[in-house]
Amino acid sequence: MRPCVSFFATLVGAIFLAQLLLWLAPGDAADIVANDPKLREALVQEWGLDQSPLQRTLIFLGHAIQGDLGTSLTYRPGASVTGLVLPASIRSLGLLLGALLVSLVTGVGIAFHTAGRKSWLRRMIQIGSVVPVFLLAYASMTLLNEWTFSLMQAEVISRPGWFALPDQDSFLKTCLAILVLGVGSSALTEIHVASEQELQRIRRSKFIDAARARGANTTPHLFWNLLGPLTTLASNRAAFFLGGLIIIEKVLHVNGVGAMLWQACRLRDYPLALGITFVAAALVCAARLAGDIVRVTVDPRLRAQR
Amino acid sequence: MNNKTLHLFALGIALSLAGPASGTALRYAEDQAPGIINPLFTTSMSEARVNELLFDGLFTDDRDLASTPALVDNWELAEDKLSMTLSLKPDLYWQDGTPLSTKDVVFTIEAMKNPKTLSSEAGRVEWIKSAEALSSQQLRLTFNQPEFQPQDKLFFKIVPSHAFDSTTVRRGDDFRTKPVGTGPYQFISYNPDNSITYRRNTDYRDSVGIPELVMREVNDKNYQAKLMLFESMEALIRVLPRDLAVLQNNRLVELYPYQTNSWWYTGFNLTRAPFNEPKVRAALAHMVDVEALLAPVGTGAVLSGPFVKSSPYYNHDVAPVSADPFLAGGYLEEAGFEQGPDGWQRDGEVLTLQLSAPKAVEDAQEIVLNLQAQLQQNGVSVTVEFLDEAEWKARIWRNRDFDMLLSQWSFDRNEDVRDQFHSKGARNFGSYTNEKVDDLLDRARNSSDPYEKKMLLREAHRVIHEDHPMIFLWTLDSYAALNTKISQVAIHPFYFFTYVSSWRMK
Repeated sequence: MRPCVSFFATLVGAIFLAQLLLWLAPGDAADIVANDPKLREALVQEWGLDQSPLQRTLIFLGHAIQGDLGTSLTYRPGASVTGLVLPASIRSLGLLLGALLVSLVTGVGIAFHTAGRKSWLRRMIQIGSVVPVFLLAYASMTLLNEWTFSLMQAEVISRPGWFALPDQDSFLKTCLAILVLGVGSSALTEIHVASEQELQRIRRSKFIDAARARGANTTPHLFWNLLGPLTTLASNRAAFFLGGLIIIEKVLHVNGVGAMLWQACRLRDYPLALGITFVAAALVCAARLAGDIVRVTVDPRLRAQR
Repeated sequence: MNNKTLHLFALGIALSLAGPASGTALRYAEDQAPGIINPLFTTSMSEARVNELLFDGLFTDDRDLASTPALVDNWELAEDKLSMTLSLKPDLYWQDGTPLSTKDVVFTIEAMKNPKTLSSEAGRVEWIKSAEALSSQQLRLTFNQPEFQPQDKLFFKIVPSHAFDSTTVRRGDDFRTKPVGTGPYQFISYNPDNSITYRRNTDYRDSVGIPELVMREVNDKNYQAKLMLFESMEALIRVLPRDLAVLQNNRLVELYPYQTNSWWYTGFNLTRAPFNEPKVRAALAHMVDVEALLAPVGTGAVLSGPFVKSSPYYNHDVAPVSADPFLAGGYLEEAGFEQGPDGWQRDGEVLTLQLSAPKAVEDAQEIVLNLQAQLQQNGVSVTVEFLDEAEWKARIWRNRDFDMLLSQWSFDRNEDVRDQFHSKGARNFGSYTNEKVDDLLDRARNSSDPYEKKMLLREAHRVIHEDHPMIFLWTLDSYAALNTKISQVAIHPFYFFTYVSSWRMK
């Protein structure tokens, strides 16, 4: 019951906060469209821009419960927000899950090798991962474009289908976005360090000593006990990745919810911004809920507490 | 990793993903994809350019920017200049095969005038009292007051009446994603990457040279020229001055200069002290070295008033304000200011201003910072702020909450500056008032004699220059970049694609 209450409280809180921020921001959707005061006034009335943030939040939630997220005002005037947000969410979710997978597999994999040892790999990860997502994306895109172009100029290769980034959608662009999101802004180093600490803690525990004394393989025990902390880390990281999505989608021109949210805020398209916030908040809550379920499943002590 | 390894890495990726490049389409870049395709709700230049591809007006511009019939075959203006009878060209069809008739023209005018439509373009038909279809080919327009060259105002785009239920057109109507026009291109698809594909209209009244056009959204203006060099784009609407040299030296790119009716200015808020004092405005104008501000952002012509130099209304007898700190100081002293340790001050208050500029305008940051430096060197304390589009319109357009602003105005060929300088002008954000200018602008708008209009506006130029409601800066030289496989290129300075049907692709 408690997780469900927390789920809905987070959703409502996120919507209200987004609504309040949009309301506080100078200018509104009618300012974007209308150059004439009379037209502006008519649009303010028609779009309910004269209502308070609380009124707007309640109206939005009332419609959202019925599955109606409203219609876009300025980004794609008249288009259904659900119709805009759903395909974009699927694209962004792909990037997000991919980035999470890259972070986890790479971070945990390297942690197995480096935990409790001196390693140059740790230093390399720290240096590489500390680079902000936007810089990493720009640098990789520019380097890839310039190298490929010089190879094309030298007639070593013919023009690749993906060329030039970020102009058109391609498998390479998706991979690059996932990689940058999964590594940059300390994503990889955070998971790597946390995995190392957990591994060292688990390796020092008595049940691992016992398993080792019996001559059993300790790796399955390590993985099973690592699952709980990693799930918490991954579900928390999902919220950070949502922030990174805005940047990566802008730089690499991916038409996902991150780029759409940026445009919605810029154009003061509050139904669209709220629709995206609603989906993003639901996603973060769902990730936390899933994390809780996994932790309870793998840790008998948590089950006993309940 | 050495160079060889890096090249091999790139080679591997390139080869594994090799594919064909676009061959028959002209791809052009926009910073922002149009949100809506409906000429009744145009709010951005990218939308205006799309309208030019898909729709026709009754009249259009010829290469000399004079009115020439588009959908109209012939017309006759009544002797009292209060009405006009027009005949449409025969055998014109909408892109869905429906014949075009005068019903569509009447519908368009009525829909734009309908207050429930909330059309952002309603101002374009305000002067038309009524439109009446006399037959399927002939219609009569009646005006609110005598119109001497109504054809100059009849270039708004015509939409098909059969695509709408009533003259109350909504922004959200399906038409926005399924537009049907009579223009040289027809809409094919809105693509998931925000690009738009258009194919040539085979029923267009002229032959259209380029089979396909693709509008690609490239938010980062800095990357647009790169994509042109990489042959991922065939056209750039406007090249940034810093990219000119690199594009000029590329054998696959041709630069096309075109003269826009746009000029830059810094405007004062005349409702705020001390900018309501002509001597303070004159002093600030003489503190600015316009040539030095222009140099880092490109080439162009420094202006002395509200018209571009090629305009017939530009008064060449009025010289631009020269940078003269000594003269500026004199004006300030006459206004009661004196030089103190913190700069110019009066009654213990330092001369301070906030300079506002739109965030989205290219080069605005560089100009504002240089302008700030120039004014500060002359003893004026300046803070700067950059506003996004919504904040700009709310603060500057709606609330007129500013001291001094940097911006630019763009005009169609009518170059009607009444909105900017008439005391009742909707875009007179600085609240400039001068009865003589009001009279000159009113008379110029109603004048039937082109020579008289020219002389009236030249005089308005002179008076406005002397009042310094703005520091007039420059008109920039604009260049479009096109791949050399595009030939017979002619560019409209405002709508860009007006002559696109004549373009050819090798």
